[in-house]
Amino acid sequence: MQSINVYIVKRLGQFFLVVFIGINIVFFVTHATPIDPVEYSIAAAASFGSTSPEAINMLRESLTELYGLQGGIWDQYLTFWKRIAVADFGPSVSAFPTPVSTLIGRAVPWTIGLLLTAIVISWVLGNLLGGLAGYYRESRILKAAGVIAMGLHPIPYYIVAFVLLIVFGYLWPVMPLGGGYQRNLAPGFNLAFVASVAKHSFLPALSLVLVGLGSWFMGMRALVSNIVTEDYVTYAELAGVERNRILTSYVMRNALVPQITGLAMSLGAIFNGAIITEQVFGYPGVGTLLVSAVHAGDYSLVLGITTISIIGVSAAVLIIDLLYPLLDPRMKAG
Amino acid sequence: MPVLRTLALAASACVFALSAHAQSTSLPRNQTLIVENPEGTIKNPGWFNYWAVNAGGRSTGLHQLAMDTFWYIDPNEGIDGVWDNSLASEKPIYNADFSEMTVKLRSGIHWSDGVEFTADDVLYTINTHLKTNGLFWSAPVQLNVASIEAPDKYTVVFKLKKPNSRFHALFTVRWNAMWMMPKHVFEKAGDPLKFAFNPPVSLGPYTLHSFDPNGKWFTWQKREDWKRTTVARFGEPGPKYVTYVDPGPPDKRVIAQMNHELDIIHDVAPEGMFTLAKQSKTSRGWFKGFPYAHPDPTLPAVVLNHQNELFQNKDVRWALALLIDIKAVSMASYRGAATISAIQVPPTGMMPQYYHDPMEAWLKDFEIDTGKTKYKPYDPTAGKQIADMLRPSMGDQIPTDPKAIAKAFGRGWWKPNQQVAKELLERAGFTKRGDQWYTPKGQPFQIRITTEGETRPVMTRAGTMIAQQWRQFGIDAKTVVAEGGNLIVQRNSGDYEAIMTWSVETWGGHPDLSFFLDSWHSQFVAKAGTPQPPRNWQRWSSPELDKIIEQVRAVGFDDPKGVELGQEFVKLTVREMPTIPLMAYNVFTVMDETYWTGYPNAEDAPYTDPVPNWANTKYMMVKLKPRQ
Repeated sequence: MQSINVYIVKRLGQFFLVVFIGINIVFFVTHATPIDPVEYSIAAAASFGSTSPEAINMLRESLTELYGLQGGIWDQYLTFWKRIAVADFGPSVSAFPTPVSTLIGRAVPWTIGLLLTAIVISWVLGNLLGGLAGYYRESRILKAAGVIAMGLHPIPYYIVAFVLLIVFGYLWPVMPLGGGYQRNLAPGFNLAFVASVAKHSFLPALSLVLVGLGSWFMGMRALVSNIVTEDYVTYAELAGVERNRILTSYVMRNALVPQITGLAMSLGAIFNGAIITEQVFGYPGVGTLLVSAVHAGDYSLVLGITTISIIGVSAAVLIIDLLYPLLDPRMKAG
Repeated sequence: MPVLRTLALAASACVFALSAHAQSTSLPRNQTLIVENPEGTIKNPGWFNYWAVNAGGRSTGLHQLAMDTFWYIDPNEGIDGVWDNSLASEKPIYNADFSEMTVKLRSGIHWSDGVEFTADDVLYTINTHLKTNGLFWSAPVQLNVASIEAPDKYTVVFKLKKPNSRFHALFTVRWNAMWMMPKHVFEKAGDPLKFAFNPPVSLGPYTLHSFDPNGKWFTWQKREDWKRTTVARFGEPGPKYVTYVDPGPPDKRVIAQMNHELDIIHDVAPEGMFTLAKQSKTSRGWFKGFPYAHPDPTLPAVVLNHQNELFQNKDVRWALALLIDIKAVSMASYRGAATISAIQVPPTGMMPQYYHDPMEAWLKDFEIDTGKTKYKPYDPTAGKQIADMLRPSMGDQIPTDPKAIAKAFGRGWWKPNQQVAKELLERAGFTKRGDQWYTPKGQPFQIRITTEGETRPVMTRAGTMIAQQWRQFGIDAKTVVAEGGNLIVQRNSGDYEAIMTWSVETWGGHPDLSFFLDSWHSQFVAKAGTPQPPRNWQRWSSPELDKIIEQVRAVGFDDPKGVELGQEFVKLTVREMPTIPLMAYNVFTVMDETYWTGYPNAEDAPYTDPVPNWANTKYMMVKLKPRQ
């Protein structure tokens, strides 16, 4: 029992250290960017309309003050940690004065909804089909599934996405080209809205599933292929245990441990968003928000998103580390 | 395999169930105009306070349909002439020394909540900007306005801190301008920098219907009392609803228009336009045929950094210009669909009749003397040569009438001449050893041309072609990419050698050049490394130019002397070649006539710029009529 407590304390310590170092790195990297949010705002303000140079100089001073950018980097560093402590990332510079937390809060549900669904579906399908393919190696259908999964896997993601768009958005236009839900539909928890969200998420999710499924499939098939040659599986077969039971209880259960680690890592990275997916399908989410924040030099927003992402990935690793002793008795012993 | 069969059945069921869900929007399609908003997804869609800098979307329909101000100048010919008195009932009235401007307001104009627009709103707008720093127009108001008063409900008088003959430009729409604030809303709102103005109270003919909390679309609905707005003078707006959307990347815009789900594409790559022209019978550009695009009153150029000693000698600048083959640049950038200009004025709107045509004779006679050779560089047939080059592949789409060719492809440009370029460089102290040119200091002559990469592919292709042409002559020229915020910082701080951008923008319809020219005065040139105010990105200082600008400041906006001074500016810049002008910024705005007719076009309805992020497109709404 004591060894488990030490294990937990160590993992918690690692978690806090990783989060602290990660956030520091992000802070200094974002502040090292040459992009000046004030100049960005001025360019947006002056790019089309009539603006006198004197007025621009004056506006520059006003915005620097308004955005709170006068202090040195150490002042901003201290302010940043004070804000982190109360989960406040301050106002977004590129959407001033809206708080960063509001912008992230608006985007996160979409990203989680899409990625969680896509990751879970591709994980379940990939592992199920991979497990079956590794065990029933003679099945033609499963061999064909393996060829398809391996064929799709190396195709660049954006190609798959555009092919889906062209097929289902243009040649056979049954799916919307983009957006999170039907235009002019009032958001709400009702059938029409939920169906519309599901419909708009279908192609983005399908593209993620098609590309993601391959790696789970191949990983699981390889693991199962190794496990089926183990003595205990041979023994079970000789003892007349049902094949389906051998597959589920003897083979796949053992093969799942590394796959669960992979799943946890993928789930933790959800907060990074799916940048290309969101861009190609015009899907609302954290990825699009992050790209626009980087282009605008919006430190606060970049810091907000990356901080949540660091915490998300680290927390996922922590949880899986803490769950390992339950999944793998060898951890308990060691 | 029962498991596989079940999975396959479940997947099929999902596809058909989702497909069965209605595709169309809930608004009647034949009453809804769907327009691309090039701002993309708006981060802060619930923010409609335009007066706060960069806080929300602008071309979401907000400034096209809901805002208004005193005057509009059309970039083309205008719906009833180039100048329109919008909230003002007449043109600005200045006193003799331009230190006072009086504005007479229209009566009977109402905000969408029923309150009448009066001089009180103007006073409130100006006074709020006078006492609040950081609003969009705080700085120009604080710099110019000493006080404002309203002698009556429909008259305002601005007392200026110093004479300014172009003060009205602040309230004259060219893309946007200083919009009027509703006093009765903002005075109750507290800090104007932190007020979202949601829902916005509109002064235009539409009011907000709904918007996507994720910033993908905004829908506006025609006001029932549209007759109490300024565009009512020109008729009833056609569309009942107007939706501004973020349709995504260019390929998706093309697909969306082929599916008739996007009536107006703001801009696509030339290839996208050609695809639509070929495959969508209902799609059209500004020109019915080639080159399709609308030439915006903006002049992309090779902007050379005058704070870099390499480009301080006009012989070098002219040598670089004479190494460019504009036909190749036109083909590389716009696939030939460019409207070229040899002078520092965009060949668009009404500009050719004020500048290009009258100056043609002077340009033909203009001569460069290298000390060894006298050379007349102007080739008046450059536009025609481009048209001739395209005719074999484009057939009847390419006009044969010289006037039509000039309108579509531009007039003349500079004849490439490597010998003259060589003599000019040698006179500037450059030498050629082997295949490489060296600077007077003995360094290899290197030029890095900054481009915007995929953000602005047309200009990137132009820069790449120019770099190639310079390289063939022995100059070590390459393009480098800077996008988004990086580009802004590099351009604004002068951290570049040459850059593909523009520092010339005009009103389009009106010959006055002060819109950009005033900012070219040497008083505004920043020190190297410090931010340069727009638009003199080249950081060129010239006493002769300063003199012209000061003379422009002293004459009235409509004074014919302004055109004379503008032509003097053109002559000076031809002699000095501070930047190398290339072409108009051609925007491939594509309009689908499936649901709507009456779009502006070059042939018979040049009443405004179709590029839909311009606030001037409010006039388009009254010309659009439903087809069905």
